[in-house]
Amino acid sequence: MQDSPVLSWKVAGLLLGLLVILATALVKPFGVSTQYVVTDAIVLHSTAPALAESNEYLNKYGTKEDWGVGYGWMLVLGMFLGSGVASLATHRFRQRKNPSLPDMWSAQFGDHKGKRLLQAFIGGMLLLFGARLAGGCTSGHMISGISQLTVGSFIFGAAIFASGILTARTLYRKRSSS
Amino acid sequence: MKLLLGLAIGMAIGAVMQMGGASSYRKILGALLLKDMTIIKLILMTIAVTTVGIYALDLGSLAHMDIKPTYVVGIVIAGLIFGVGFAISGYCPGTCVLASAEGKTDAMFTVLGGLAGAALYAVVYPLMAPLISMTNYGEITLASVFNVTNGIWIAVPFSAILLLLVFRVLKDRYE
Repeated sequence: MQDSPVLSWKVAGLLLGLLVILATALVKPFGVSTQYVVTDAIVLHSTAPALAESNEYLNKYGTKEDWGVGYGWMLVLGMFLGSGVASLATHRFRQRKNPSLPDMWSAQFGDHKGKRLLQAFIGGMLLLFGARLAGGCTSGHMISGISQLTVGSFIFGAAIFASGILTARTLYRKRSSS
Repeated sequence: MKLLLGLAIGMAIGAVMQMGGASSYRKILGALLLKDMTIIKLILMTIAVTTVGIYALDLGSLAHMDIKPTYVVGIVIAGLIFGVGFAISGYCPGTCVLASAEGKTDAMFTVLGGLAGAALYAVVYPLMAPLISMTNYGEITLASVFNVTNGIWIAVPFSAILLLLVFRVLKDRYE
């Protein structure tokens, strides 16, 4: 199939597991969502310093003197670069017919680029709002958290899949033939 | 040095996840529609390997553990919100970064939405404090709950169950 992964889930899961173990041995478990706050803090400290300095939450992650760009932020930058290199090397870069529309999405909703981009944006807002409230996302809570047998991470994983499955079913319910 | 290490580990993680199909909208929605088990197997396989590895390191006090606090009500609400975003965007906070690097424009909008969502959370953070303090049991793990000193005794059977699931139980079902 055109979109089938280069690595099987067995190989990818094994390698990813070994990398998370390595990260935990050397520095700390792997997580992504905190870095969105660090990035927000960087942007706001450079554009609206008064607002940034008065915000309690942003100040936990980056200050005027120290933006908080450290190991974790470089790791996410690395993920971006690694994915780009891998997709180029395996000829998967810009492979879609339309870069903004997944084929599966347009088969259900039509060729509405604006609608898809709006959905993608709102989806991103919900993802990060939820991840910050929980204190982690798929990486920090589900992969690293469950691997440390953290009770809250099991709860988070169950809640994600319950609401994700329900939402996906609602979006992709078969249209009644009118 | 630590920065370069982060970059190197990140590049390897990004490449493996991309090649494993984690940044594919079709694969993620396939998982949530319970038709394509690739992503679920990938996640469970990763957890199976990592759990044993981390708790083996922990035996020699070599793991830099980072246990997140368990505040039940706040985490359930957060997971429900996250799940809607997961299904609508077809990405998670990490995979939209990977997909952006592949030139997928919708994933770039998910990253931008994510930055907006994190900023919104920063603004309303004081209002969220009760959700974090309510039903907060602190940094508990299955090992601490069951009073097991060496977590490896839970990690090994737990990983075995996950391996059984991915190799024997979970099957794709296409219509």
